[in-house]
Amino acid sequence: MEPIKAIDVRIFPHRRLKPKTTEKILNELLDLEGVLRFLVNGESLPKIVGYGPARGTSVNHPDRKIITVKGKKIELLVSVGEIVVSIKQENLEEFVTKTKTILEETLNFGFDVRVGVFTRTKTTVSDYLKLGYGIEDNFDPSLVGIVDPKTKSKETVKLIGD
Amino acid sequence: MSYKPQYTPGETKIAQNRRNHMDPDFEMKKIRNINDEEIVSVLGHRNPGENYKTVHPPLDEMDFEEDPMKELVEPIPGAKQGTRTRYIQFADSMYNAPAHPYDRARTYMSRFRGVDTGTLSGRQVIEIRELDLEAISKTLLETEFFDPAKTGLRGATVHGHSLRLDENGLMFDALQRYVYNEETGRVSYVKDQVGRPLDTPVDVGEPMDEEHLKEITTIYRSDNVGMREDKEALEAVLTIHEARTDGGYGLGVFKDDLKAKLGDDK
Repeated sequence: MEPIKAIDVRIFPHRRLKPKTTEKILNELLDLEGVLRFLVNGESLPKIVGYGPARGTSVNHPDRKIITVKGKKIELLVSVGEIVVSIKQENLEEFVTKTKTILEETLNFGFDVRVGVFTRTKTTVSDYLKLGYGIEDNFDPSLVGIVDPKTKSKETVKLIGD
Repeated sequence: MSYKPQYTPGETKIAQNRRNHMDPDFEMKKIRNINDEEIVSVLGHRNPGENYKTVHPPLDEMDFEEDPMKELVEPIPGAKQGTRTRYIQFADSMYNAPAHPYDRARTYMSRFRGVDTGTLSGRQVIEIRELDLEAISKTLLETEFFDPAKTGLRGATVHGHSLRLDENGLMFDALQRYVYNEETGRVSYVKDQVGRPLDTPVDVGEPMDEEHLKEITTIYRSDNVGMREDKEALEAVLTIHEARTDGGYGLGVFKDDLKAKLGDDK
């Protein structure tokens, strides 16, 4: 596989985003040139109460919704706090300006947009185990850095592009 | 009492708000009405209308050895009746919530009798006889101690005080005990303290205005009133810090003591 030059752009809104806003932003960002992958981060939302007297009852959190991104249904597992977008180096400048415009139109509160490396770039043993199901197998290097070592990759990684 | 308590140092509005909280003679502004049954259901310790469970017979019916302390201290109503000890716990957002854990601890101690309070970084629990707890909860929920958006009534899974607010200005709650109605602009509790669903939602009113919260908060914040702006508070803190350090390390004391032991003090 040919190596490509890529960089991360981190979007940090000053408030946690509702699923509807997240859906809108993600869809608009996906239409921009050079987007490779998204990492949607935030405080995780439980499906059932984990401890206390109400242990086992369902939470029904209004932020844990199924959103539609480019026609594919994705369940939000977190209350969205930041979005990290990996982007091709050559599209960086245009992407940042357009992202800022999109955010200014969508959000009625502040946000930060930063450029840098916000995902892991080197392969680790857990990547092999998580992504390749065995150390000998090869895996898709484009997934390095977006896998949560504590969960099953199938649940947290969704392929929506072409 | 021969002296007037000063409660807490400081010359800013934040310090004044803290003093107002702690002063039992200061009447906190009542801003909402929640009826007793709703408070009982949100607390979740007993069903509304149910009798109080007791852990011992009423004090009048019990035999005690003669004890002058028992004569001196008047028991609180809950203790007299022997009701159980139960709790109410709050989490206060760092985004200018009206109260915060340490302020709550000091306030509870100076305003209420017979309380046991526990302070943690993000939450504050108050334990007291159930009968008195309900009266105290009413004060805490109906007055300016409580803001529906920035204060959370949470028995378990309290995480959220240091997180960013959501789009409607609500503090994060993993169990979503309270919901914001975007049409009416009011917050209501749909679950009790620990996350058990309620039969009927309890309306706690509209979230307070951000500007008003900046006026009544007891939290020093650099985007409102920073602690460094409060010379008097800072001086008091530094004095205590210095005294504790000197005393703790025994500076100027142990040195002489050691010299004496070595026979070096002559």
